[in-house]
Amino acid sequence: MNTLIEKEFDIEQPIGLVWKSLADPEDVVTCVPGAAITEKIDDKNYKGEVVTKFGPIKAKYSGDIEIVELNEGEHKMVLKGRGLDSKGKGSADMLMNGTLEEKDGKTQVKFTMDITIVGMLAQFGSRLINDVSDQLLNQFVDNFKNKLSASAPAEESVPDEAAETVAASAGGTAALTSTEKRTEPKTPAPQEDNALNATSLIGTVIKSIFGGIVDFFKSLFGGKKS
Amino acid sequence: MIKCNTSKEIGGMGHSKKRKEDARFIQGKGNYVDDIKLPGMLYMDIVRSPYAYAKIKNIDASKALEIPGVVAVVTGKDLEKYNLHWMPTLMSDTQMVLPTDTVMYQAQEVAAVIATDRYTARDGKEAVMVDYEPMKPVMDPFKAMLPDAPVLRSDKEGKTDNHIWHWEVGDKEKTEEVFNNADITVKQQMHIPRIHVASIETCGCVASYNKVENHLTMYMTTQAPHAIRTVIALVAGHVGLTEEKVRVISPDIGGGFGGKVPVYPGYVIAIAVSFLTGAPIKWIEDRSENLQADSFARDYHITAEMAGTKDGKIQATRFKVLADHGYTDASANPSKFPTGLFSIGTGSYDYGTAYMEADAVYTNKPPGGVAYRCSFRVTEAVHAIERMTDMFAKEVGKDPAQLRMENFIKKEDFPWASPTGWSYDSGDYHAGLKKAMDAVGYHELRKEQLALRAEGKLMGIGISTFTEVVGAGPSKDFDILGIKMFDSAEIRVHPTGKAIARFGTKSQGQGHETTYAQIVAEELGIPMEHIQIEEGDTDTAPYGLGTYASRSTPTAGAAAAMAARKLRAKAKKIAAYLLEVSEQDLEWEPGKFFVKGAPEKAKTIQEIVFAAYTNHPQGMEAGFEATHYYDPPNLTFPSGAYICVVEIDPETCDIKVRRFVAIDDCGNIINPMIVQGQVHGGLTQGIAPAMYEELIYDEAGNILNGTFMDYLVPTAVESPNWETGHTITPSPHHPIGAKGVGESPTVGAPPAIVNAIVDAVAHLGVEHLEIPVTPFKLYKKLKSVGYFDDKA
Repeated sequence: MNTLIEKEFDIEQPIGLVWKSLADPEDVVTCVPGAAITEKIDDKNYKGEVVTKFGPIKAKYSGDIEIVELNEGEHKMVLKGRGLDSKGKGSADMLMNGTLEEKDGKTQVKFTMDITIVGMLAQFGSRLINDVSDQLLNQFVDNFKNKLSASAPAEESVPDEAAETVAASAGGTAALTSTEKRTEPKTPAPQEDNALNATSLIGTVIKSIFGGIVDFFKSLFGGKKS
Repeated sequence: MIKCNTSKEIGGMGHSKKRKEDARFIQGKGNYVDDIKLPGMLYMDIVRSPYAYAKIKNIDASKALEIPGVVAVVTGKDLEKYNLHWMPTLMSDTQMVLPTDTVMYQAQEVAAVIATDRYTARDGKEAVMVDYEPMKPVMDPFKAMLPDAPVLRSDKEGKTDNHIWHWEVGDKEKTEEVFNNADITVKQQMHIPRIHVASIETCGCVASYNKVENHLTMYMTTQAPHAIRTVIALVAGHVGLTEEKVRVISPDIGGGFGGKVPVYPGYVIAIAVSFLTGAPIKWIEDRSENLQADSFARDYHITAEMAGTKDGKIQATRFKVLADHGYTDASANPSKFPTGLFSIGTGSYDYGTAYMEADAVYTNKPPGGVAYRCSFRVTEAVHAIERMTDMFAKEVGKDPAQLRMENFIKKEDFPWASPTGWSYDSGDYHAGLKKAMDAVGYHELRKEQLALRAEGKLMGIGISTFTEVVGAGPSKDFDILGIKMFDSAEIRVHPTGKAIARFGTKSQGQGHETTYAQIVAEELGIPMEHIQIEEGDTDTAPYGLGTYASRSTPTAGAAAAMAARKLRAKAKKIAAYLLEVSEQDLEWEPGKFFVKGAPEKAKTIQEIVFAAYTNHPQGMEAGFEATHYYDPPNLTFPSGAYICVVEIDPETCDIKVRRFVAIDDCGNIINPMIVQGQVHGGLTQGIAPAMYEELIYDEAGNILNGTFMDYLVPTAVESPNWETGHTITPSPHHPIGAKGVGESPTVGAPPAIVNAIVDAVAHLGVEHLEIPVTPFKLYKKLKSVGYFDDKA
């Protein structure tokens, strides 16, 4: 199944800082629920994995992420990802277009994700996929904002390695790869805690459905919407 | 009124006897395949493909085999060693049992896990790691026909496209000529969507091979046990399983509807594994496997056309079909009928010119299609003709009931030769429609409709007056894999006058144990309570092609009557001997022979049967048994007149069936209550594709509604109050004048419902709606004609 997700959010941080973090897969991945970079092949190609729990289905996708375009001047990026379910139960393909825009010293982030899912998740989860994606993205945005606000004031004192990474990635073409980097990804492998929580997700979906019904009945009797 | 020839005690034809089989069904005492447990039995589960089209790079079973209790993991490569990795379909196409290198549809069988219990088998299945290389599937049948489409069946030598077969019937040139010169022509493209029989019991088997005896007992959810035995012997004869070494038992079946006619890979794998291990193997599908992988029904893309005069006389029809068969042609049609009996699509109308053609195509969808409660593609044909009749009526400005009345074949014109080659046996279409119109109050409803429209309310009345063709079939035309489609009955009457009768058919809920007993009771006068009916065991029952396509009463029911008549002829001889009169002096009344003019001189059937074992005439064979193989001279042509009234919420587009009147004509009625039950069930399965059911695939090959959460099977909640009735036009060639009825309502209901919905919104500019007509689909249509002006 195919789904197009569009998302827009503002961050109260300067565009340069946001770009630096977003443009570095190894950095930004720490904000994606359940995701990890497992190997950096070169500046444009990474290997990674995502663990999601979806009701009774727990899916672990491992695959490749390719940076198709990284234009710092226009603050525009295009990412392509393809993941295979580790148990052979399906695959997911993603094409992401992201742009940053400066707005009164803040940054507006806009992106679209075109996702094609094949296999069990598509069969059983097709009706929930948009709600779940939305939940995932909200978690990501929260994580990302928290991360930036935590790191921003202390920008000068970030550990050398991280600073180096940010600087190098920002350059886009800088040859940074070292054998250490390839064999020791700095992002830890995804933990259970980091995996998408099924209960909260399904809860959200149910709440949104029933929330609508409750609102409907409240409106019938002149009550306020919850 | 139904006239009964027998007393209530005898319970022959026409008596609303309660179903004998229900005693065990309603108490949970049925014996289904999954109830069978054998010592040392192992359980099988099947690894299925998540992809619609992919290369298999590797299957790693090592983790599965580490699980305690997992006994084996079987792949296509394992079966290849015994040449069991491919099998023929009923349409002489080929189908993988398990793939060796490529998967062709989502949910296709990839490997089988054998374990000591069901749960361990499922755990093992989860642990089998399959490495796929996905390819882009071909899902759209029209795209599959394009010259640049990838050739899916590259396993077939020399195959250069996805086309399977072309079929045509009728007079192409003459039809074209009529269309060119006609006052009025109407044309509509329509899709009869892919649906699933969704029987309550899924498919499964217990394959039990005895190495010492070299004997296979196959307990199986099959509608055609004898045919399956022959197929097993043909496929596995080379490994020693010849036909006398195979016993197929079809125990109680929880609904078949055509879905239990094909041979699915799971059955074959179970047999192969039992053969290799010597252990009984049980395989039972879960609900999603059943819905996603087992044979679909329908999936015909039809371009239908009708030509006629401006005063409303139908002159010709032309249908062109693209049939999406999925990965292989696994239809369950008679061999010579690739489109089944689709050519019945000229309907109940008196015109002499028609042309129909069909092309079948491979796609990356599961194979099929089965005759879902339908005599081989009749549902598709009836939908097309009944929609066209309504469209034509609208075009010429006539009431659809009036136009039908004017175009019906008259009852004195039977037998009637159809332009596509059928000889309709009997019918009285005018009487059926009149009865339905009176029952529903047709003319009042039309007045009410006008009044409601003036108030902005949406109400519609839809008619379907269909002709069915059932009871396949005469041996000159009908066979499956070469075996002629006769059917059989064997009656044994015991010395005390009680009987057992066995049949080559197999009930899946139709009530054979009751109706067959009533037929024998009608002919022999033995109370139906004392006639035991048995089916489904190939070691005991006479050979027959099974139950589907409403063929049981037309074939095996006729065989029962014929076998009973052989016994009655013998009874007459014995009675003459006992009464010391000549046979010519005897007269029959149900239950006894008596001497003409001296009714006190009589012998009951029980006395006669007892004599057959204790005091039979010299020179006569002892005993009281008979067998008959009935080869029907023609099919039977039941008909029906259905009228549906719908109300549509003008804001939400919710569709409510307010009335549904179904007048069926299935010839002489054996058990009115069973017929009514069949009609109720069939109508519910008719509302299903009209308003709810469709198997939906996306471009990537995913099935998007492969569970009952998303595939909407109507329940009691969705079922309106069915108002049923009948007219009786006996079949002139059937021994008891009966036709078939089980599938009539499934075939006839969808166009009545859709015609009603279209009628409700016709004044808004809607000419056609594709099934299933969901509220959302209706909303979009009404928006497209400007009824809604919202921005959503």
